[in-house]
Amino acid sequence: MTFDALVYQGLIGLSLAMYLWLLAAGLTIAFGVLGIVNFAHGSLYMLGGYFAFTFYETLGMNFWLSLLLASLSGAAIGSVMERFFLRYIYHLDLSYQILLTFGFVLIFADAARIFWGGIPLIPPMPDVFDSTVPIVGRPFPVYNLFVIFVGFAASVALWILLDKTSWGETVRASASDREMAGALGVNIPRLFTVVFGFAAMLAALSGALGTPVRAMTPGIGTSVIIDVFIVAVIGGLGNLPGAFVGALVIGLLKAYGVLLFPDADLFMTYLIMALVLLFRPKGLLGGR
Amino acid sequence: MAGKYELKRRRFLQTTAAGSALLAAPFIGLRQAHGQAAIKIGAQGVSSGSHADYGRQIQMGARFAAEEVNAKGGIMGRPVEILYRDDELNNDVALKNARFFKEQGVNFMVGTDSSGVCLALGPVLPELDLIQIFTHAATEKLNEDLVFKKGIKHIFRGSVPVYQDAILPALVFKDNKDIKRIANLGADYEYGRTSWAMFHSTLRKHRPDVEIVGEAWAPFFTADFTPHISALLAKKPDLIFATPWAGEAVLMLRQATTLGVFDSIQVWWQAMGGSVDVMEGISRDVVQGKFKNKLWATARYIWNWPDTPENKAFVNRFTDRWGRLPNYSAECTYSAVLALKAAVEKARSTKTADVIKALEGLELSTPAGKRFYRPEDHQAVYNVPAGRVTYDKTVAPIAHLTDLKVFPAADYFRKPPFN
Repeated sequence: MTFDALVYQGLIGLSLAMYLWLLAAGLTIAFGVLGIVNFAHGSLYMLGGYFAFTFYETLGMNFWLSLLLASLSGAAIGSVMERFFLRYIYHLDLSYQILLTFGFVLIFADAARIFWGGIPLIPPMPDVFDSTVPIVGRPFPVYNLFVIFVGFAASVALWILLDKTSWGETVRASASDREMAGALGVNIPRLFTVVFGFAAMLAALSGALGTPVRAMTPGIGTSVIIDVFIVAVIGGLGNLPGAFVGALVIGLLKAYGVLLFPDADLFMTYLIMALVLLFRPKGLLGGR
Repeated sequence: MAGKYELKRRRFLQTTAAGSALLAAPFIGLRQAHGQAAIKIGAQGVSSGSHADYGRQIQMGARFAAEEVNAKGGIMGRPVEILYRDDELNNDVALKNARFFKEQGVNFMVGTDSSGVCLALGPVLPELDLIQIFTHAATEKLNEDLVFKKGIKHIFRGSVPVYQDAILPALVFKDNKDIKRIANLGADYEYGRTSWAMFHSTLRKHRPDVEIVGEAWAPFFTADFTPHISALLAKKPDLIFATPWAGEAVLMLRQATTLGVFDSIQVWWQAMGGSVDVMEGISRDVVQGKFKNKLWATARYIWNWPDTPENKAFVNRFTDRWGRLPNYSAECTYSAVLALKAAVEKARSTKTADVIKALEGLELSTPAGKRFYRPEDHQAVYNVPAGRVTYDKTVAPIAHLTDLKVFPAADYFRKPPFN
């Protein structure tokens, strides 16, 4: 295997990792702050993709605007889910949480089938991205570079938002002690709605980013969520840097697995997850 | 803090595990109302995920056949009724559906998309005492092993097997001297594995100079094939043999164009790329010349061949009824219902043993042309061409196959005793 092939495959893996990272970031934030394991997180990815398709392809909007509107639509749906549904089950048993979010998975998948049909939808590649640049002597898609850029930009934005702003401070305070934050005057219910909407927005952004290269189908939500859970388990929960590292591990593993172990690439993902659970049961960055 | 964290993590893992079990739980399929004296046919196929259009096509083909048969007086005066369920490409679900059909008193079954599922379902048919005509699943093990070697007479197949996906392209490309290095992007299950093995062994029999340079395998529900494609391109193949199908084929081909694949290879063989849903999905990329005329495919029936009045009339009636061109799983299922009608009328009975006898050696005129059910392995033999993917709006609103290469199926299909 040449060094060039490894570099190229690494970049492919990095772009895969970025979709996962945006998803895992949302899942982690929702779990860290609200304590909700949102099975419908993958469905929000799906809806983000479908919305982007509708704005960009059906309504003929500009690609950037459709990305933005699709993300905001995801945020709106997330906020409604929290405000009118999740809010009523925080005090109930864990199984209600599963049933409710899983119910959303089914509802969203069927809704997608009704609105957009069962056939995979894939819009044309936007002209700005419809080209390649040579990397180690091979054509590399400009779009993948864009996805990598968005992933890193989102990391910086999240870091600033959560670590450098007072809103971020409030969020972190509520994550570590909900009652105390409430006692100090934080409007917890409203914060929860906003945070859950924000998490949903990240999932929708990931889905919207995927539209020109990863066709949307009603079942895509359930297939992505499994990888995202693996990312969360590997990275360590409620831990954003952990989610980032977990996404990188899985993205690169998927890419290098196909190149180096074509007969065992799927097994590799589960092997790594098993090893992490055995030796670092709190995740790679979940120590202490 | 640590304790609380631990609790959260355990809660997460528990929730994840429980929820994953739910994700795997079956969805409820559709069932249509049923009458009294009807001949009932249970149909199943995949109606969820990237492959959902195939179940839809099986349903459309079966229902359309039933409507036409019923309009002409049914089968021996009895109306035909179709019951349909989603098998989710899952063996357990398919078996459950078959038992459900049995309880509902169906007389016959048709359908099944996955090769994996057909191998699970075939062996239980004698126990259910039901005939199934498989109308999409393609593994050669169904006719060669289960029917011919194990003698399970309840299995028939009305669609072409992997001989079509794998032997035909070897015949089409064996004389192309530019093809020396071949690579596989396989659907990671029975169908992809068996197709690839059959393709490279047939091609290398004619062309010992051809070298296998790479293999990549993608399971169902793969969202991103770029790592697979990129890994193969690192090996500089001349031909890529690809078996992921349906929506996965559409997104894989889009991803291939973004990686500049068609600048460096000679041929991309998309085995079931002739499928209508794939053609619909890639039409715009075809119009823009993204595949540089290097994309080749076949199917288990293509609507623009054969050029016969019977086929043209079928395509027109089907398009009027459903607003879409008929895909192969629709035509194969439609023709399977017609085969059952012919067999029941020939046997003057709906008893399983009688109908099996009547189906063996049955020759039947269908939209795809003459179908002959080989008595030895219950495989329908009929011709389907391979061709290059093109677009011409005077021919059809979607991409279609051209440069059609027709080889007689009776020659290239493997024959009993399958040594």
